Amino acid sequence: MTTSVQRYHSLSIVLHWSIALALLFMFASGLYMVNADISKADQYRLFQIHKASGVLVLWALILRIGTRLFTSSPTLPDALNQQQAFNAKLGHICLYIALVTMPLSGWLMVSASPFGLPTFVFVDWIKWPNIPGVARNKSIETIANNVHWVTASVLATMIAGHVSALVWHKKKHNINLISRMWWNKK
Amino acid sequence: MKTSLNRICLKKMLSMRMLLPFSIVMYSCLGNQNTHAGLQSSHQSGSVAFSGQHAGMYFEGKFERWQATLILPPQSNPNITATFYMRSAKTGDSIYDSTLPEFDWFDVKNHALGSFVSTEIEMTEEGYQVLGDLTIKNITRPVSFMLTDSQDQLSTSFGINRLDYKIGWESDPDAEWVSKTIFISIMIKK
Repeated sequence: MTTSVQRYHSLSIVLHWSIALALLFMFASGLYMVNADISKADQYRLFQIHKASGVLVLWALILRIGTRLFTSSPTLPDALNQQQAFNAKLGHICLYIALVTMPLSGWLMVSASPFGLPTFVFVDWIKWPNIPGVARNKSIETIANNVHWVTASVLATMIAGHVSALVWHKKKHNINLISRMWWNKK
Repeated sequence: MKTSLNRICLKKMLSMRMLLPFSIVMYSCLGNQNTHAGLQSSHQSGSVAFSGQHAGMYFEGKFERWQATLILPPQSNPNITATFYMRSAKTGDSIYDSTLPEFDWFDVKNHALGSFVSTEIEMTEEGYQVLGDLTIKNITRPVSFMLTDSQDQLSTSFGINRLDYKIGWESDPDAEWVSKTIFISIMIKK
């Protein structure tokens, strides 16, 4: 007899909430550095921080997906019907795709940028390489830029949907889904 | 026969042993050598620095490898020649130092050396008024500067337009981020 787990793996939980916080910062810094009336020096510094943080988010996502694939996940509550379970699965897959597309499109944009600036991940000894073969390619930079912004908008909408679904299930069916993504009380 | 050969070898070895300390002394003097042929200078005895603005922030760096020969008036045929290794340009900022060697900036793969050759040197009260050709990335442009002569050193500072040398030509042609004018400061110990 096998017993299904009640929550995600601890590493998944840590990564889930870390990425959630990081995304808040990435959205805020991304919008601020492009739209706010700030000095060139601050804009430049914020770009470098945004780039370095993006690399960390990408690493965290890879680890998160790896943990998700190689550890047991809690099954969905029986109270959810087949359609709702399907929607939940589809929603999560779309979330993962959008999450991964964000740093990848940012990486491509930086690699194809006419500035050709390298990315140091907060310290001089971690230099994240640019994607080879696209250096100073204006067309690719434009495409990557558009993908980055469109995906950001889609991702923000999906995150809103993700949180809304959580609240809706709690209110409508009294299902506490968030307990799957936190450490249960004993 | 064998003995005489041995003697010759011994003599040669002795003479080389005597020459060795002399060579070391000569080599150590090369960093700043004031001979009848002119003043020899290099990164060991002087500095070639550059500075400008990026994103409104002041930056400066220096060439860590360069050499120059100066024959100054009243010597006959006065001239100045200098060679600097573009790859040796360092600012201490990792992003700048990684970017400078690239194609759009110094393009060190294709243009390892920069050079200066004087075309006219005139002695003045303060020092020397120098005209010459500065070559970077195989592009030569005339420059002029006042080489100030103080007791123990020669120094100058002058600006160049980086776009004249196609430095950052694709990245920032409108000087939106990096200033057009880059100042070169040179100090040579006499």
